[in-house]
Amino acid sequence: MGLQENIREKGVLGAAAAQADDVFTRLTAGIDAGEFRRMLQGEPPGRPNPRLKPHSEGFLLHIKPTYYHESVTRFTHTYRLGLLSTYLFIVETITGILLMIWYAPSPERAYVDMILLLTNIPFGQFLRDMHRLGAEAMVAIVTLHMVRCYLTGSYKPPRQFTWFTGVLLLVMTLFLSFSGYLLPWDQLAFWAVTIGTSMAEAVPPAVVGETVNLLARGAPDIGANGLLRFYLLHVLFLPLLLILFFFVHYYKVVHFGISLPADEEEVGEDTGNRVPADKRVYYLPDVLVDETSFLTVMTALLIVLTVFFFQAPLENIANPQSTPLHTVAPWYFYWLQGLLKIADKFIAGVLLPGVLLVLLMAIPYLDYNPSRRGKDRKVAIVAGIVAGVVMIIWSWMGTPEYAVEGAPAVEIVQDVMPEEGSGLAREMGYKHLPLGVWRTDEEYDVHDHEFNELLHEFNHAVDYYRRADPDFNAPVGILTITQDQPSLKKLKWEIMWFDAEGTPGDYEKTFWLHEDSLYWEQYGWKHLFTGYVADGWKSLSGAIVGE
Amino acid sequence: MHRLYTRSPIAKIMWGIVTSLIGIITLLLVLVSENPRMEAQTLSWEGRSIENGATLFANNCATCHGPNGQGLLGRAPGLNSYYFFTDTGRLQDVGWVGSLEDYVRLSIAAGRPSKTDSQWPEVMPTWAGQYGGPMRGDQIEHLTNYVMNWRESALAQTPDEDPFQPFEDVFRPTEFQNTAFLLLSEEEQAAALEEYQARNIRSPQEIWESEACFACHNLEVNQVDYAGQNGPNFADLHERAGSRVADMTAEEYVYESIVSPRAFVVETYEEVGQMPENFAEKLSEDEIQALVAWLLDPDREVTEEE
Ligand code: HEC
Ligand code: HEC
Ligand code: HEM
Repeated sequence: MGLQENIREKGVLGAAAAQADDVFTRLTAGIDAGEFRRMLQGEPPGRPNPRLKPHSEGFLLHIKPTYYHESVTRFTHTYRLGLLSTYLFIVETITGILLMIWYAPSPERAYVDMILLLTNIPFGQFLRDMHRLGAEAMVAIVTLHMVRCYLTGSYKPPRQFTWFTGVLLLVMTLFLSFSGYLLPWDQLAFWAVTIGTSMAEAVPPAVVGETVNLLARGAPDIGANGLLRFYLLHVLFLPLLLILFFFVHYYKVVHFGISLPADEEEVGEDTGNRVPADKRVYYLPDVLVDETSFLTVMTALLIVLTVFFFQAPLENIANPQSTPLHTVAPWYFYWLQGLLKIADKFIAGVLLPGVLLVLLMAIPYLDYNPSRRGKDRKVAIVAGIVAGVVMIIWSWMGTPEYAVEGAPAVEIVQDVMPEEGSGLAREMGYKHLPLGVWRTDEEYDVHDHEFNELLHEFNHAVDYYRRADPDFNAPVGILTITQDQPSLKKLKWEIMWFDAEGTPGDYEKTFWLHEDSLYWEQYGWKHLFTGYVADGWKSLSGAIVGE
Repeated sequence: MHRLYTRSPIAKIMWGIVTSLIGIITLLLVLVSENPRMEAQTLSWEGRSIENGATLFANNCATCHGPNGQGLLGRAPGLNSYYFFTDTGRLQDVGWVGSLEDYVRLSIAAGRPSKTDSQWPEVMPTWAGQYGGPMRGDQIEHLTNYVMNWRESALAQTPDEDPFQPFEDVFRPTEFQNTAFLLLSEEEQAAALEEYQARNIRSPQEIWESEACFACHNLEVNQVDYAGQNGPNFADLHERAGSRVADMTAEEYVYESIVSPRAFVVETYEEVGQMPENFAEKLSEDEIQALVAWLLDPDREVTEEE
């Protein structure tokens, strides 16, 4: 019908309303304003159901099923973990692209760019923290999603291949996180990745190992080439691969339908994609509202965690000449680091992870038990729990807690003032470090609570190693604080002891601390502002009490 | 367990609204605190750069420049020094036109290229990787920040505290190369210098040698050593000086040529290496007068050096 006729028939306002409704219907790919209102009011759809149209006509919704089985929409069935994994990937993509604006992957610039991001870009630190937190959360959530699929037996026929692509996704998620780890080009990044890639070298035969290593690093050691390669993996190759496999994975999920709670169907049966009419929960509007509100809550949670509780670390610039004490892998590779402490590089770094990966992929084909019900799967569930506990133990062995104690004197200083990060001494800060010589074998009457705490900790550490190590007798710790420059204090830590034979030993380590320095633990909003508030409160309460 | 799942869309929407508000408020908090945060971060990274510089200095420089940067006698000059930081001190003496920070950065990065004319037993080494030294650019930057951080304490030094050692490459007489002199007013400095010059009058030939006039001028016609080809020959100066410029006697012309060489440039010398313009400051009035007379004397005597 032409516009003129339309106006003749309905008047100008009527025609405009019809036109607007038409546009609305096009935008929603099939839902007109009236239907939209009915949807909001919770009324049932008209017939034929116009709410199915966006799924068949619109691009965005065509990958979503039109309805779900009522039982699988319960939060406690999937915990929305697959959805959350997808969402975190999107968050990572957005924050990642924004971060790329201020980042250049070269050793000359990468680290400086990180500092510029923190000092000169509004919301720069927020973006970086969120990207980092999102990456770690994604690893955790994807793993939890796998655990839930394992526990509900969702990998059983016909979903074996869904599981298989899932494992691929997990591997890619881990590699994505790991490749991003190198990009800030600080000591943490450099050494974690150096250790990580060194495992590739252990692949037999030697030629293959060396070639793999060379391909990843672009040179025998990580440098400009390695950084560029990791960058390209991180921003291009791995994300594209992950997107590809995500769609394969998701296609399979929609194709078979999400598996029902095991006790709602017969053993050996699969009715995930045959939903009786009275059990259907339509995507529009119910599931959409559910997913949207869930993701809104998660977004708010992510923002709050980022701002108040999470600061991405940034240590000193990468220095190939000096390996910092206690180099650690990212936490999701602690288990590997733990294994490396008890077995050689080939077994722990190549063979075992390889076997584990193949086993994980093969679970659906090894587990011939047709039942998904918990009470029929006692062996599988106990095996799963044992595997989880073993992973946790290996991970614990990967932390510096296990089997990497250095010399006591080195550990004592590391305890109060570590080479990287803040530690107690830096956390208290410049103004709580009075000039003078402070010995652990003497008592002091200092009126600074924070400094007392430091002296106490120093004493405590010296004493701990005295008791723990027979080669560390009658130790004395001496902290000498001097003013080196305006606003710059010099802290010289000295430890002296006698070994079992009575030979004296000593160790010395000097650090400087500037009045304005913050270490990454102190970047948070919390630290910046509660510091002021706390100081203000102290002086106020001091004034009231009359100190 | 199933109670965790809420069926009511209203409750879900409420959750959505409340948490988006929380998210937005949190972002607003970040927004209002961004400026102070960036400021604190900027200061912090400057501070940490200085900390790094301190470590580098202790490991690489303290052996020559002393643990507190006060220099070591006969080994290397003090950096934590009034003379080094004050505008009329080191910068003016080396004729550096940029900032002190740039001078420090360049000195550290490039070192001093050679031992020629150096009073120090070992030259200042080159540190920057790009000039063949062992350090990266960021380390040079940390060291520069560390050295510059002495400014406040150095400028507070009294003449006695300044660990100053005279530089031989500085034109100012050694007895005035110290903080006490720098603290004098301009007039007092001028008076002191004048008094010094009056005490130390040099003969024209001494000036000819110590101020290196011979590097550009020859005194005789057939003197053909390589040096002396950069400026006019003075064998016939007494013949042409009087007629070079109208209304000027020979004495006035030669005097003017020394004090402000650009006033009358001899033909064919417009392009070549020019006569230095600072002799008026370096020579006392009496010295210039004697020099003029000596140059114009057709029978001037030149005593041969042994
Ligand atoms: C081998 C001894 C030696 C070492 C090591 C050394 N310097 Fe020097 N430095 C010198 C000497 C000698 C001079 C004076 C050079 C000159 O003026 O000819 C000098 C000059 C300087 C100057 C310029 C001072 C001026 O007044 O012109 C700076 C700045 C400087 N050094 C900084 C450093 C720093 C920073 C380090 C450590 C990375 C360092 N130096 C290490 C010997 C040393
Ligand atoms: C760097 C080279 C250089 C040095 C050193 C130098 N001169 Fe000259 N001088 C020149 C040049 C070039 C000219 C010609 C251009 C001009 O007239 O300014 C000149 C011109 C002169 C003239 C004018 C000569 C004429 O023929 O008209 C006199 C007089 C003179 N110099 C004296 C001195 C004395 C005295 C000294 C030492 C105290 C001295 N110069 C040092 C380069 C030098
Ligand atoms: C980037 C990583 C991943 C994404 C984005 C993702 C996404 C999803 C989504 C959206 C679903 C729908 C159901 C739900 O939300 O639980 C799903 C189901 C499933 N996923 Fe994943 N997944 C990922 C990784 C994995 C991994 C690591 C595994 C196991 C190794 C896995 C195995 C499965 C299985 C078996 C199902 C079917 C569940 C059922 O039918 O009950 N997925 N995935």
